[in-house]
Order: sequence, then structure tokens, then C-alpha cells
Amino acid sequence: MLKTGFMMKALPGLMAVAAAGGLVSTLASGAASAASFKGQTLTIAFQVYGGGNQNTIWLTAVKKQFLKMYPGVNVTFVPINASENQYYTKLDLMQQSPRTAPDICVEDTFLVNSDASAGYLLPLNKFVNQWPAWKKEFYPPMQKAAEATNGTVYGVPFNTDTRGIYYDMPMFRKLGVKVPWQPHSWADVLRMAHLIKSKEPGVVPLWFMSGKPMGEASTMQGFEMLLYGTHNTLYDNRTGKWIVQSPGFLDSLQFVRTIFTQGLAEPLQDALTPQSSVIATQQLMPQQKVGMLLDGVWEYSNWLPTGGHPWPQWHSVYGVAKMPKQNGGGYTSLSGGWTLSISSKTKHAQLAWDFIKLATDRNNMLKIDLLDGNVTPRRDVAAMPAYKKAGQGMLAQFAAFNSFTQFRPAYAQYPTISNDIQTAMENVMTNSATPQQAMQQYARAVTTYVGAKHVESAR
Amino acid sequence: MSMRTMASKGLVNLILILIGVLFVVPLLWVITAALSANASLAVQWPQPVSFGNFAQVLSAANVRAFANSLSLSFGTALFAVLFAMLAAYPLSRYQLRFRRPFMYTVLFVTGLPITAMMVPVYEVYNALNIVDSLFWTGAFLVASSLPFAIWMMKNFMDSVPVELEEAAWVDGASVFGSLVRVILPLMRPGLAAVGIFIFVGAWGNFFVPFILIQSSQLDPASVTIYQFFSEYGMVAYGQLAAYSILYTLPVVFLYVVASRWLGGAFNFGGAVKG
Amino acid sequence: MTTTPATLPRASAQESRTRRRQAARAALFLAPAVVAMTIFFFGPVLWTFYISFTNVALTGPTATHYQFTGLKNFSIMFSSRSFWQAVLVSLYYLAGSALIGQTVLGLLLALLMQRANAAVRAVVGGIVIAAWVIPEIVKAFTWFAFLSQGGTLDNILQWLGLPQPAWLFTQPLLSVIVANTWAGTAFSMMVYSAALSGVPGELVEAARIDGASLWQTLFRVVLPVIKNSIMTNTILITLQTLGDFTLVYAMTGGGPGTQTSVLPVYMYQQAFSFYQLGYGSALSMILLLIGIVASLFYIKLLRVEL
Repeated sequence: MLKTGFMMKALPGLMAVAAAGGLVSTLASGAASAASFKGQTLTIAFQVYGGGNQNTIWLTAVKKQFLKMYPGVNVTFVPINASENQYYTKLDLMQQSPRTAPDICVEDTFLVNSDASAGYLLPLNKFVNQWPAWKKEFYPPMQKAAEATNGTVYGVPFNTDTRGIYYDMPMFRKLGVKVPWQPHSWADVLRMAHLIKSKEPGVVPLWFMSGKPMGEASTMQGFEMLLYGTHNTLYDNRTGKWIVQSPGFLDSLQFVRTIFTQGLAEPLQDALTPQSSVIATQQLMPQQKVGMLLDGVWEYSNWLPTGGHPWPQWHSVYGVAKMPKQNGGGYTSLSGGWTLSISSKTKHAQLAWDFIKLATDRNNMLKIDLLDGNVTPRRDVAAMPAYKKAGQGMLAQFAAFNSFTQFRPAYAQYPTISNDIQTAMENVMTNSATPQQAMQQYARAVTTYVGAKHVESAR
Repeated sequence: MSMRTMASKGLVNLILILIGVLFVVPLLWVITAALSANASLAVQWPQPVSFGNFAQVLSAANVRAFANSLSLSFGTALFAVLFAMLAAYPLSRYQLRFRRPFMYTVLFVTGLPITAMMVPVYEVYNALNIVDSLFWTGAFLVASSLPFAIWMMKNFMDSVPVELEEAAWVDGASVFGSLVRVILPLMRPGLAAVGIFIFVGAWGNFFVPFILIQSSQLDPASVTIYQFFSEYGMVAYGQLAAYSILYTLPVVFLYVVASRWLGGAFNFGGAVKG
Repeated sequence: MTTTPATLPRASAQESRTRRRQAARAALFLAPAVVAMTIFFFGPVLWTFYISFTNVALTGPTATHYQFTGLKNFSIMFSSRSFWQAVLVSLYYLAGSALIGQTVLGLLLALLMQRANAAVRAVVGGIVIAAWVIPEIVKAFTWFAFLSQGGTLDNILQWLGLPQPAWLFTQPLLSVIVANTWAGTAFSMMVYSAALSGVPGELVEAARIDGASLWQTLFRVVLPVIKNSIMTNTILITLQTLGDFTLVYAMTGGGPGTQTSVLPVYMYQQAFSFYQLGYGSALSMILLLIGIVASLFYIKLLRVEL
């Protein structure tokens, strides 16, 4: 039902784009086409938050280059100053009407699929297929993140993030552990946590995001880093159903219970607060009171001169390790990230595409990825010396996790389901439910929400 | 004065001072953080005392945001008070059949959370093509504060004796003339109370301008305050505190001026005498 | 009564003319407010009412092609534990911060101020009112910092040699109740100050001379006189507290768990974090209903006319 409905809606759009693409390709590039855009105005909506005007700096630079190439064209910014939920509320509302829809918007890869199925976004296949860099330089997992479930491309990713274990190198050396350290299974991680607990009183062995106050960070930096290292996942792409009960789910909850009930993780009051990661990165880590932290690439930027807690020595203290799968045999990481997408209501599709192509070329992409200290989706950027040196090499280390990283199921139901995962985690960490009970509650909640036809159990 | 009453008066003052201290203590952090170069959530005496946060916060964009807030809130308060005053007159003076249901409706809708309505409001604004305008954003704030304003204003007006008005009529004043020349001066405290109440509400409102305004140069201070927060819980505490102080000052100033102007009689008494 | 039958029709004609003129004037005076409210306020309210019976979302397939789903949102709501939890938390929050906190403290302040030194009255009154006029988000941050670990309160408790529990974690509901009491008491204080100034002094003195105790005077003489003020004040702060969102959301985000998830916070999460606009609208309708029921309850309880 849902699928056919979506196809019916997408079809005319696809055809329109096909036609537009054909038309434009005959114009090709050059002065003739540049002149024909004269007087057109491109609007670009993006998020600014926390003084983090990286997007503004990047897009301003791109705009300057763009206006040189296309004289007589106007580019207007619509910066939205808000947290992610609020940014989305605003953007979705704007995208509903041709009058307010921005030509280009910055989209969370995670919402590309739902926004596409809402009919907000323009399919870009015609454009990317004629763009050599798309095939040659973009990492396949990143391309997939910008696609809807039916394979239609809806955006060009410009950054992503990966997750791993920050660990205190001097402390590990002191405990007789060889550095660089790399665990190979969950048991290795737990063994290390026990060692820290017994030898280093006053230190949190493993800081682990969990429970509802930290929201999506608990699901993504915490639970999914475990679950996606087991044999199971959250969603079965083959059957199109949510997996509500599985051994991997149970083992992940068991891990959460172990670390929180055996004193291997941070105290509950530091976990169950929206400030949990701030307490870790801005207060305790600079005092070397945290042995390991399972978190994302962005956290080290807290300690840069521009960050929330400048700390010049950070690099000689914290190193990063890959998060191992449950029983060895590889590593795991989760990724999010952002794309530039075009509104389905735009009247300047070609011009918008030309802007996106410029914004995500090698040099401009390097600019934004260095500005927000995130992982690049382009191979050629990853190979640039400036990128390799960034964050004392920390950024490149996290970028290497690109080869095994995974993405969350990008469905509109996910945020609600993620909330149910946080509830399950919280029940387990506070010991108010056993992992088994918590999983059953999760299964019930998800089944009520998406309907019994859309859930399954896995072995 | 007897010893007894003196002692009890002393006790009264003591209790009040104690309550005052309890009310002021939570505010200490805002001040110390604003004056500290590297503030955290912990309260600590800033060493050295620095006004850097204030200097940083007073950027051109933020000053513009304060100006936007000022025109938005002032405009909202002005129109809401004007409309509410006009509406309150017949509700207070005439025997209208629909008065009671009208007053009840107006009272109850004040309990609606505005947040829930913002998406429909946006749809209406989009249909009328009035999104992204300070004036029309103010129009919504006026409309949504009118129920409360009418309700308070009507009660204020009830306490003004009709006889005074009648005397003015005998002297040849029109209904509108007597409203302006006789009732208004007597309702000064009420007008100020309602006006300030609406001003404070508009000044602090985030969600309404956030949804209805798109151009960043039109954003009011309640929206731009979020520049001090960020995605992963990183907060620029010192700047946030400095900004908070600047953000609060106009409201406190307005209150002080109003209560001076009214000779200290600022209160909501009339609004709820029923 | 000396009116002759002949003059009667003329009098009533004049009366009806006055009435007509009054009605016309009433319409004219009410017009700006009614027009503004109809377009910008009641219109969206009706629209909210309508979408509370649909499955409209902010994103996904039902963002543009939504269906009328009848009472489904409500049936999901009534069978949801989180909803009932939110109702319960809202009632605690209402009772704690509005009914007990703000009204009682407001009345106490008003009573004390009647007898206080003018300077004390001005300074303390000013502080209490300052807490009220501060923008909501700043209030929330002030309290978050005050109660957080290593915050002002912890420092004071440490200095007194007392334990320092993590307030926002161990006592989240109490924390937001105290914060909201702090934030809103000024309103009640001002209302009661004005009401008390209208209580005739002779009445109180007479009661004291008759040997009534302080409590008796308060409950038998003073409070009955200001009954109307008490009721309207209670209704107003009830409606405001029920719809209160920013303070709680910014202090605790509704947590830990669902311990401070008051209805507006729950609604916000459903509508804007989970994109379920239809369900969120249904929740706001319930919130409106609770406000009406509470108000009617007070009106009945205190037996007063609006």
C-alpha cells in the first residue's frame, strides 16, 4: 500500500526531472547557459546552532565563487537558528509550499527518506549520473545514505561522522597496557573496564551514553554501537519489518546492565541528564577521570582552542580505538551526516544543482569538513594533506572507520522507535527491568506503534 | 507602639527578608557566570572579573535582534491593549446576551498551549502570504493575547463607577470621548498591568517568531539566544549568562518605570476582583 | 407607578432604540478584537481541532496525504501508559507549583507585606517580581545552573556540612515545582496585595477585639472577603501552569525517564520530535479540556459567579 502510493507520487516528479535534465544537458555549461540564469534567485536553508556558523562560512565562500561564474544571479541564505528538532519542524513547514520552499536545503541523511516520501525533495539521479566525481570519489556507504529505499538519490552528502572509543593513553600505559590499544571483542572492553575500576579509584572506567535524557545520542553512540556489532540489526531491509526481538538486542541490553550495575560506567546521575556528554568531555576528561568514552568524532573539538573547553594537552592524553564486534571478527561504527538537497518545488533545478556541485567539489568540501571537524564522504578529500593533519590526525583516524560504518534505518517511524530503545536502556540501567523484560516491553511498544504486520523476531 | 507589635513587626520584616534572600540566591550564578571568562555551571567568583562576555554578546546582529524584540513586543502590547480596551467597554457596560458565553470562551482558550497550534497558524499565514513579517507575527501575538487581555480589562473596567461617565455624558461627551477622558485615566494601573503582562509574554516568546519568521535579520532576541547552545550539549555559559542579563534588563526597566509612573500602585488587583 | 398606558409604547420604543444603538456600538467596539481573534487565533484553533482527528505528520508519506482517522488518536492516547503518566505528572506539577506553591506563598507574602516596613516591602517585592518578569528560557537556565552539581545550591549545602544530592536527578519533580513557584509567585502576590488592601480594617479589628486568633481572623474574616480574587487568580494560574512548557522542557527535558514529563512536554515530543502532528494536536485538545474542567471545578467549589 505504502510503497505503491509512494511510487505513484514520485513518478510524475521523476518524469519532470528527466525532461528537465534532458533540456539542461543540451544547454551544457559555459557562458550561454550562465547568462540564461540572469535575474534568478536561489534560496538556501541551513541550520546554525551554538555559534557554529560553519555552514555560513562555507556557503558564503561558495556563494562568492558561484556569483563569479554566474553573474546576475542572486543567492539568498535562510539560516535557521535552532536545535535539530526545531530546524526540522521549520524546514518541513517551509518545504510544504512553493512560496516558502528553499531551492536548496541542508538535510540530515537520516531524514532524506521520509522527506522524499513526503514529496519535499527532487530526485537527483539525472544530475549525479552526469557528474564523474559522484561515481569516482564518493564512498558508497555515503551515497547510499543519501538515497531513498528505492534507490533514488535525493542529496549530495558533504559530511558524515563515525563513532569509536576514546581512551586515556597515559592511564593505559600506567596499567601496563600496550598503546595504541585495540580491543577485539566486547569481552576485551569489559576486561579493561574492570582493570580500571580496580586500579584507578575515582575514575569512570567506561563512559557510555544511555537512557532518555541524552536522547538520540543514547541510541546511536550507545545502543546501536552494540547492536550493530551483533548478528542482528533494528530493521530487516529484505522483509521491510522492524526486528523487535533478537538475541543481539538482548545481549546489547545485557551489556548495558553489566556496566551500569557493576560500577563500570558513569554514575546514574551523570548518565541520566541531558548534560551527560558535557560532564564527560568538559569536566572529567580534562582531569583524566574517564578511562574510556564511547562517542563520536566531534567530541575532540571540545578541546580545541575554539571549543567549549580548550585543553592543549588533549592529544597526548586521548587516543581512539575501533569499537569491536561482540565476538570479534571486525569492528563497528554508526554514521549520520548531512546532504545538500533540492526542493521538489524549485523553479531553478539546474542552477541549484550547479551550486551544489560547486559546494561539494574537492576544495569546498575540504573547507566544510575541516570547519566542523567531521568525516569527509570524498576519497580525494581524505587524501589531502590538510585533511590528514586535522585534529592532530584524529580526524583521519575516525575517517578510516568509513570502511565498516553503518547507517540507521531511515524511516519516519525511527525517532519514536529510538525513544522506545532509550526507555529499554533506562529500565535496564536503573535495574527496574531485566534485559528480557525490557526487550518485551520494547517489542510491545513498537508493535502498537507500527502495527503487528510490520514487526518480526530474529534469531 | 507596644513592645509586642514592635516584636511582631520585626518578625514580619525578618521573614520577608529571608524570603527575599531565597528568591535572589538562584540568580547569583547568572551574574558570576556573565563576569567570568571561562564560566561553567558551577558558581565561582570570577577571577579576574571580565566584561568580555558582554562585549562579545553585543554584536551588531544581537543588537538588531534586541531592536526587533523591542518593536515586536511593544507593538503587540500596544495593539492588544487598544483592542482589549475597546472590547471590554461593551462587555462591562452593556447587558449583552452573549456576554457570559463570550467571557467563558475567552477565559478557557487562554489554557491552550500555543505550541500545539503553531503548525496550523503557519498554514494560515502561508495561505495569506504573510509569513516572514514582524508586523504579522505581532498580529498573531496580539490575537493570542487578546483573550486574557479582554478578560483582565473587563474586570478593571467594572471597578470604574458608571456615574462618572454619566456625568461626562451630561456635559456633552460622546461614549468614545468619555471612555478616553474619564475611564482611561482611572484605569491607568490596569492598562499598565495588562500592557506589561503582554509585553513580557511577547518578549520571552520563542516558538511563535521562530515559526513565523524566516529572514535572520528579523529574528528577535528570544530566537537568537539559541546561538549559545549547540547540538552536542556544548553551551557557551558565560555568553549565555551575559546575554540573559541584557535580555532581562528591558523588562525589569519597563516594570520599574511603570510602577514609578503609577506611584507604586502597580498591581493586578483590579483584574481579578471579578 | 403613574405611567399611563399611552406613554408605555413610547418608552419601550425609546428603550429599544437605545438597545439597538448599544448593540451597534457593542459590535463596533468588539470588532477589532473579534476580527483579529477569529482570523489569527480561533481559525488555527479549529484547524488544530480538525487535525487531531487525522494522521497528519511533519514528514513521511502522511505529511502531504493524510487521512481522517476518527477517534484513533484518542484511543491510542487513552491506552498509552506514557499519556496517563503525563496527566499524573501534570496534576502533581499543577497542585505543587500553582495551587500550593504560588497561591500560598503569594498570599503569605501579601499578608506579610501589609505589616512590613516600606523599604523591606519595596526591595523584597522588587526581587519577587524580578523573578517573574525574567524571560522563561533564562529562568530555566538559572535554575538548571542553581541545581546542577557544583551549582550554587551544592556550594551552600557543602558550606553547611549537608549532603548534596543531584537534585535534578533524585528530585526532578520537586525541582521543577520549586522553580515554577519561584517563577510565578509574583503574580499571586500582586493580586492578593490588591485584594487585601480592599478589606476594611475595621472588620479585622473587630474580629481581633472579639478575641479571634490570627488564624481565625484570616480564615473567617479576611479570606471570605477576598474569595472572588482567590478564585480568579486560581483559575488563571491553573490555566497558565497547565500549558507551561519552556521551564520544564529546558530544565529536565521531561526526564529522567518520564518523571517530569508534563502534558505540554509530552505533546511537544510527539508532535515535533516524533513528527506525529495529529496525535500532538489531539493531546492539546485534552489539555484544553483539563483546563476547562479544573476551572469549572473551582467555580463550583467556591460557589462564585464569574
